[in-house]
Amino acid sequence: MIKKRRKIVNLLSIFVLLILLIFLVTQWGLAQEEKKEEEKKQPTISLAPVLREELVYRWNVFDGKGWSGGFIPQSEDTIYIIANKDNAISARKTLVYFWPITARYMAGWKTLNEQVKGTLEILQDGKVIKKLKKEDNVLYYPEGFWGEKTVFYKGEDANKQYQKYRKALDKYYEDLKKYYEARQEYRKKLDEFFKEVKRRREAGEKGPLDIEIPKEPEPPKGPDFYVTEPKKDYIVNLPVGKYQIRIRAEDGTIVEGSEKNLFVFTSRRKGGVGYEIIPGNRWTKREECNDPANIIYAAGRNVLYFRPYNQDEYNELYHNKLMDPQNEGREENWKWVHTDPITDVFLLFYDEDKLLEKVDKKPYIVQQIPGPELGYNILEYTKEEFPYKKPTFEGYQLILSEKLAPHGYQIFLGKKENNALIPESRREIRLVRKKNANFLYYLSLFPLVVGGIVFTVRLRKVKK
Amino acid sequence: MKEKGISISFYSMRVLIKRELISSLYGWGVYAAMFIAFLVSSFILRNFLRGIREENIFISSYPLNFPLFVSVVIISFYLVVVSAISISREREQGTLEVLFYGPVSSSSFLLGKYFTDMILYMIILGFSAIYFLGVSLLTNLGFTYLLVKAFLLSIFLASCVISFGLFISSLTGRVRSSIIWLVGILLAFLGLWFLQNMFLTFPPEAFTSWLLYIRKTLFVTQHIINWVSPFSYLSRGMESIRIGSVKPFVLNIVYSIIYTVVLLFLSIYILKAKGVRA
Repeated sequence: MIKKRRKIVNLLSIFVLLILLIFLVTQWGLAQEEKKEEEKKQPTISLAPVLREELVYRWNVFDGKGWSGGFIPQSEDTIYIIANKDNAISARKTLVYFWPITARYMAGWKTLNEQVKGTLEILQDGKVIKKLKKEDNVLYYPEGFWGEKTVFYKGEDANKQYQKYRKALDKYYEDLKKYYEARQEYRKKLDEFFKEVKRRREAGEKGPLDIEIPKEPEPPKGPDFYVTEPKKDYIVNLPVGKYQIRIRAEDGTIVEGSEKNLFVFTSRRKGGVGYEIIPGNRWTKREECNDPANIIYAAGRNVLYFRPYNQDEYNELYHNKLMDPQNEGREENWKWVHTDPITDVFLLFYDEDKLLEKVDKKPYIVQQIPGPELGYNILEYTKEEFPYKKPTFEGYQLILSEKLAPHGYQIFLGKKENNALIPESRREIRLVRKKNANFLYYLSLFPLVVGGIVFTVRLRKVKK
Repeated sequence: MKEKGISISFYSMRVLIKRELISSLYGWGVYAAMFIAFLVSSFILRNFLRGIREENIFISSYPLNFPLFVSVVIISFYLVVVSAISISREREQGTLEVLFYGPVSSSSFLLGKYFTDMILYMIILGFSAIYFLGVSLLTNLGFTYLLVKAFLLSIFLASCVISFGLFISSLTGRVRSSIIWLVGILLAFLGLWFLQNMFLTFPPEAFTSWLLYIRKTLFVTQHIINWVSPFSYLSRGMESIRIGSVKPFVLNIVYSIIYTVVLLFLSIYILKAKGVRA
C-alpha cells in the first residue's frame, strides 16, 4: 500500500515538474516573442494603415529568367540573390505600412522615395571585400516591353542602349508626324478623287474611268524593343556564399538600418526542359509539367497546347525569397524556373517506339464567342484572317483523340536541324481507364479471399 | 558460455516469432485490417478517377501515394493495437511468467514480439504491392519509382508504430488498461493538435495574456509530440517523398531507427523492472 502511494506521489511530482518546465520554457519563449513583436511594431488591424519611415533596399535582381523588381523591409534581415549575375540594389527611405489583408509590408513610394547616399560595403567573415559606388543601369527588352526576354546593361553600355532607344523613339515620332501629314494629304486626294468621279459621271461618262486611286499611307512601326530609363544603383555580382552588406555614409559612419545579410545561391541543376500546357477548354488556367517524373493523366478527348522551355532548378526557399523577401518556402524543396522558350524543335508524340504525330509550333488566337453567352474558340492565327490582330499565344497543338487506346504514350522534343531527340524533354502521357474504377472495390476484397483460403486450410488440418 | 547464451536467446526468439506469426496469420484481424485499408484506398482512387474528365488533365508524379498513405495509416492503427496488447495479454494470462521460467529473457521476448510484428507488416506490404499493382493495371495510374520509395519508407514508419505499441504494452499489466492507455494517448495527441489548430485560427491580438500562455504551451507540447507520436513520423515521411529530396528521406529513416531503438530499449528496461506478473 505504502509502495503504491509512493509510486503515485513520484509520478505526480514528475508530472508537476514537467508542467513547471514547460511553463517556464513557454514564458521565456513568450517573452522573446513579445520582444520581437515590439521590435517589429506590427500594427494591429485598422482601417488606415500606420505609415512608418524606414530604410529599405530596392532592387532589380536576376530571377533565373530575367530581372525583376522588389524591396526588402526592415522585418526581413536577409537578401537572396543568384550568383555571378549583375543585380542592381539601392537603399532608399520610404514609408512602410503593414497591410493586414495580405499580411505583408508595403512601401508608399509615391509619398516618399529618397535615395540614401554612400558606399555599399560587402563583407565576408567580418572583412570588407568590396566597396561599391553607384552605377548607371538599364533593362533592355529585345522583344518589346511585353516580351519575355530582358537583358541587363550597366555603365557606358547602359547609356548607349538608352540612347539607341531614344533615337529609335525620336525617329518613330518623326515618322508618325510625316504619316499624319501624308494621311491628311491622302484624305484631300481622296476627296478630289470622289469629286472627279461624281463630276465625270454626271457629265454622262460611262464605263471604267481612267483616274488614279490615291494610295493610303502606311502607319510607321514603333521600336520593337524597349529600354528603361537609366538608374543609379549598386551593381552586386558575387560568387556563391554568405555575405553581409552595409552602407557607409559620406561622413564615414554606417547608415542605421542598412546592415543586412546577403545570401548568394545558384541552381542545383541546369538545362532541364519544362512545359507549360494550355488545356483547350480553359486557356487562362495553364498547367506546368516541369519535373521529369511528372506524368500527364488524361481521359477521353483532349486538346492540349504545349509550350516548351529551358529550365534551371533552384532551392524553393531561396528563390521564393528572391522573388519577394516576405515569401515563405521550404529549404528541402526544389523548384524549376523557366528560363527561355525552346525554339526550332518539333513536338513528337510516340506510342512506345512508333511515332504517331510530329507537331510544329503555330500561332493561335483566342476569340470570344459573339453574344452574351460565355465561351471562346482557339483558332489558328494567320495574318490574312486576322489582319489587325496579334496571336494570343504560340504553341504545339496535340489532340488526344478519344479513339487512342488507353495506355501510356510519350512526348519528346526533336531538333529541326537533325531530328535528334532531346532526352530531358521526355514526358509520359497516360490515358486512364475510368471504366475500371468500379472494379477497384473487388480488388480490395482479395485479402479476405486469402484469409478465407488460410482459414479453410487450417480447418481441414484441425479436422484431420 | 556467452555464445551459448546468445544462441539460446536467438533460438527462443525464433520460436516465439514463429508461434506469434502463425497465430496472427490464422486469425481474421490482419485480413480485415487490409480489407478496410484497401477499401478506403479504392474509394479515394475511384473518386480521383471520376475527377479526370474529358478536356481535363491531371499532372502528378505519384497519384497512388496518397491512397498508400491512407492504407498505411489504417494498417498502422491495427499494428499499434496488436503490439500494445501483446505483452499485457501474455502477462494477464500468465504465459509470460511461464516463458520466463524457461530460457526466455526480457530482450529476446520483446525483440521476438517486435520482429513478429515487423514480419507481419512485410506480409501486409506484399499484399499492398499486389493491390497497387492491380490498381495500376486496371486504371493505368502509374506504379512509379516514388511509390516503391514510399513502400520502402513505410517499413521504417511501421517500425516506429510497433515499438510505440510495445512500449505502451510494457507499461501496463492488463489488456484493458493497454487499450485504455493507447486510446487515451492517441486521443490526447489528436486533442492537442486540434486545440493548437484552433488557436492558430485567431490572431495573437485576440487573446488575453493567460490564453497566450496556453497557446504557447500548446505550441511547445505539439513540438514534443511531433517527436513522440509515431504517426508524426508517418506524415513527415510521406511529406519527404512529396518533396522528392534525398536528405529529408534519409533523415526520416534515421529518425525512425533512433525512435525504434530508444523505445525498444525503454520497453526492455520497463519489462525487467516491472516483472512478469500482472
